[in-house]
Amino acid sequence: MIPADGFIVWSVLAPALTLLGFAGITLLLAVFQSDRGFIATVALTGVVSAGVFALNLLMQAQGGLAEAGFGLRYLADVPATAFTLVVLLGTALAILVAQGTLGRMGLDHPEYYPLVLLSATGAIVMVSAGDLITLLLGLEIMSLAVYALAAWRTEARQSQEAGLKYFLLGAFASALFIYGIALTYGAGGHFDYAMLMAAFTQPGFEAHVTALLGAVLIIAGLGFKAALVPFHQWAPDVYTGAPTPVTAFMAVVVKAAAFGALLRIASTVFASLEVGALGALLPGVLSVLIGATLIVGNFGALLQTGVKRMLAYSAVAHAGYLGLAVLAADQAGMAAAAFYVAAYTLMSIGAFAVLSALMDDDDGGDGIERFAGLARTRPWLAAGMAVSLLSLAGIPPLAGFVGKVLVIQAAIATGHAALAVLAIVTSVVAVVYYARVVVAMYVRDPSGAARTPERRTARPLGIALGIAVVGTIVLGLVPGLWYGLVDHGQNLLVFVSLR
Amino acid sequence: MTAVTLVLLPLVVATVLLFARKTIVARAIALIGAIATFVTAVLLPGSDAVQVPWIPTFGAFIAFDPSHAGGVLALVASLVMVPTVLWASLRVESNTGRFLAALFAMWSGLMGLFLARDLVLFYVFWEATLLPSLVMLGGWGGPQRRQALLKYLLYAVAGSFAMLLTIAAIKPLAGAESYLFADLLAASVNLDVLTQTWLFAGFAIAFAVKLPMFPLHHWLIDFHEQNHPSGAADVAGTLYKVGGFGLFAWALPLLPEGARQAAPLLLALGAFTAVYAAIIATRANHLKRLLAYASLSHMGIVAVGLFGLHLAGLSGAMYLLAAQMVTTGGLFLISGMLHARRGSLDADSYGGIAASAPALAAVTLLVLFASIGVPGLANFPGEFLALLGAFQASTAAGVLAVLAVIAAGVYGVNLYQRLYQGPQPNPVADLRPLEVVVLAPIVAATLWLGLAPAAQLRVFEADAIITVERIEQAKDGVDVPLVAVGEVRR
Repeated sequence: MIPADGFIVWSVLAPALTLLGFAGITLLLAVFQSDRGFIATVALTGVVSAGVFALNLLMQAQGGLAEAGFGLRYLADVPATAFTLVVLLGTALAILVAQGTLGRMGLDHPEYYPLVLLSATGAIVMVSAGDLITLLLGLEIMSLAVYALAAWRTEARQSQEAGLKYFLLGAFASALFIYGIALTYGAGGHFDYAMLMAAFTQPGFEAHVTALLGAVLIIAGLGFKAALVPFHQWAPDVYTGAPTPVTAFMAVVVKAAAFGALLRIASTVFASLEVGALGALLPGVLSVLIGATLIVGNFGALLQTGVKRMLAYSAVAHAGYLGLAVLAADQAGMAAAAFYVAAYTLMSIGAFAVLSALMDDDDGGDGIERFAGLARTRPWLAAGMAVSLLSLAGIPPLAGFVGKVLVIQAAIATGHAALAVLAIVTSVVAVVYYARVVVAMYVRDPSGAARTPERRTARPLGIALGIAVVGTIVLGLVPGLWYGLVDHGQNLLVFVSLR
Repeated sequence: MTAVTLVLLPLVVATVLLFARKTIVARAIALIGAIATFVTAVLLPGSDAVQVPWIPTFGAFIAFDPSHAGGVLALVASLVMVPTVLWASLRVESNTGRFLAALFAMWSGLMGLFLARDLVLFYVFWEATLLPSLVMLGGWGGPQRRQALLKYLLYAVAGSFAMLLTIAAIKPLAGAESYLFADLLAASVNLDVLTQTWLFAGFAIAFAVKLPMFPLHHWLIDFHEQNHPSGAADVAGTLYKVGGFGLFAWALPLLPEGARQAAPLLLALGAFTAVYAAIIATRANHLKRLLAYASLSHMGIVAVGLFGLHLAGLSGAMYLLAAQMVTTGGLFLISGMLHARRGSLDADSYGGIAASAPALAAVTLLVLFASIGVPGLANFPGEFLALLGAFQASTAAGVLAVLAVIAAGVYGVNLYQRLYQGPQPNPVADLRPLEVVVLAPIVAATLWLGLAPAAQLRVFEADAIITVERIEQAKDGVDVPLVAVGEVRR
């Protein structure tokens, strides 16, 4: 059902509004409540309620009753709601990880959870946007909160640097993005994707160059958030400098949001530009970026000695695999990306949760020696880490494997065999750096000097790890549970409206 | 359902074993589990196929069918696993329960990959089986195990990912309905020669690593040298040399055109592997290195049988694969028994022990003879047919591969002499009752596979005919009556 302009459909906005409401509540609570655990629980309640709304919308969309708000500017079709759910999953797990570690690190300031909720609200707006202005709003809402979170450890230079670097480069990327929007508007005369598509495909449309230039700038702006090479420079430093729970949030939620938005634009606006003499330009640009991301991310990770920095580069590498799905930009690509991003969220959070449990209070001590002999000293943590890393490496029968097959299949089906080969070759490199940690945990003896701190794993952290690991295994064995829900791209609202 | 039980039962046993704290409890569970799994495997021939949708939108099924070549291999592998589990439970002293759990997990994975009739399912088992074998090497291996492990992992995963690419590509490119073997087989005729060759290359890399075959065999030697001296992990590793099976069951029938393009090169590599490894084996001193090279040489013969692309060679290669599970596996167990007596795997530290351990010597001689292809014992029928297939394709490759058989005679007899004959400085204990129990199934299987090959060969041939017919069709577009086949069968 597509409502007229100006008519607000509250149910469509429910997930984002719920999060926004809970962000306000937690902020108020933070003034009166000293019990941080309580605030975290309230925040989690908000995320779960938003998740219920989103799941309801997904079911509805899957049944062919996708809704939209403000014309087609805010969508609640299958990809939008699927990515919303992934964002909420990542947020919930990141909150649990934070709850389990921030206190120990002395970073448990009460504003943490409201900021996380606000950022997640922006992420949801981004993945639901059907309009460039809505997308920009979501992007800024999300980013502002994350800039603050990245600099959360105010007394540490590293963290300050992370925040500042992210903010400056982020502002620059936003500028590019806005310029891209302006050019696109100039070429098509509209902001919403559906009208842009209509304008671009109209016979007699001449402003191809302007539109393509706009598209390239939009790719650059979103590519920054998604950490696509060459817009990835900030990622390793910011990921390493930020406190580990923040890194976990950034690595999954920001990435999911950026890819949700990028996929939507690629499958609608960009797809309508793939005609004429310059038709191959956008796929060409994207292929180069993705190929470079795969190479830089994986080889960069191979060279790292710290596990946190390795995971930062691996996050860049995974942007490359997700990029394959963007390139496919069809129904299969959408579903593949929605699956991949869910799998990636689970396995990344699993790895970051273990990392948070092991690292020192000042965010030091992520060297690989910290993991030596972990299987003997902390068998459960080691097992969780092993499952997460093996899944990241794409070993079956874990979720990461299924995701990898799906995106590679989508790329091959749309004629990008060379990139698919590159993705496989770089995956072999990935196995080396992930396996190094697993081997250290299971084969090496615990080394005296770099011994794991003897502390109990906080319960919320354990819960997050448990959910992530079980999810990784279950999604690997029964991928249909999630893939069956997201593979209904024919309900893409923008396409419906054009018929 | 028997097939599903056979895959799940060892996995359940493995899970239970993880929680068995006391060694004696672990041993009891392992013994009961091994017998139960073996009984299930014996019930396998003639049981029903299973086919349940798994990932509908993806076209993957949970499909097992015991009536194909994999069914025979699953039975033989189970037969070898029983003594292996028994021996491991006696000889692995630290964390016995965990080691046995890994062994059972491998058992489950092997059953899955032999019985799977869906390509995705096959791949999942193919790769998942790697994990327990890594665990055994990493957890119980020798001092150089880290290097061996990384090397093994890298080779295996590089190969598997090449295959993954082929798997991801084959369905959309062929336009198949699903990943079921039958659907892929029907649809793969749509693929042109060039696409088939590329897709086949993906399979060939993966299977050449796991066959293994020169020049992708480097992991194998360290893998065996560094594994636990009991030899149990080596047996499991031997069973996991499933590259030949992958070629036979998936790559050759699905991509006959691609196979035809690549066959001359791979045939030559196979023949070279056979001779090269056999010659190194004649010079090896470390028992496990020697066995690793011997086994590599057998795999070369399996390869020439397969890439001859003739019926006799194809089914012979599968037969040799099944037989060497028993013989190479048996020899690894015997090397573990020798190690239990002297604490060394160096052939030079033995000599003349036949006098004090006549029964051990006799069993060794039997299994060793079977391994080098003496007629009437396990390896002979397969080796003979594989070589026949090689000769049908290329005389040069056939002659080269036969040289490997001669070299096998040299290292086999030589090894027996060095271990058991000559002056005897120190006597050793003869076979203990439990060791007799461990070796009995190996001896029985050696004789069974040597004396009664017909039934198993029929199953292999029924599968191989698909490949041969498709290759003949590709060659000249007509069905060729398979005369030569009938000759061989008798």
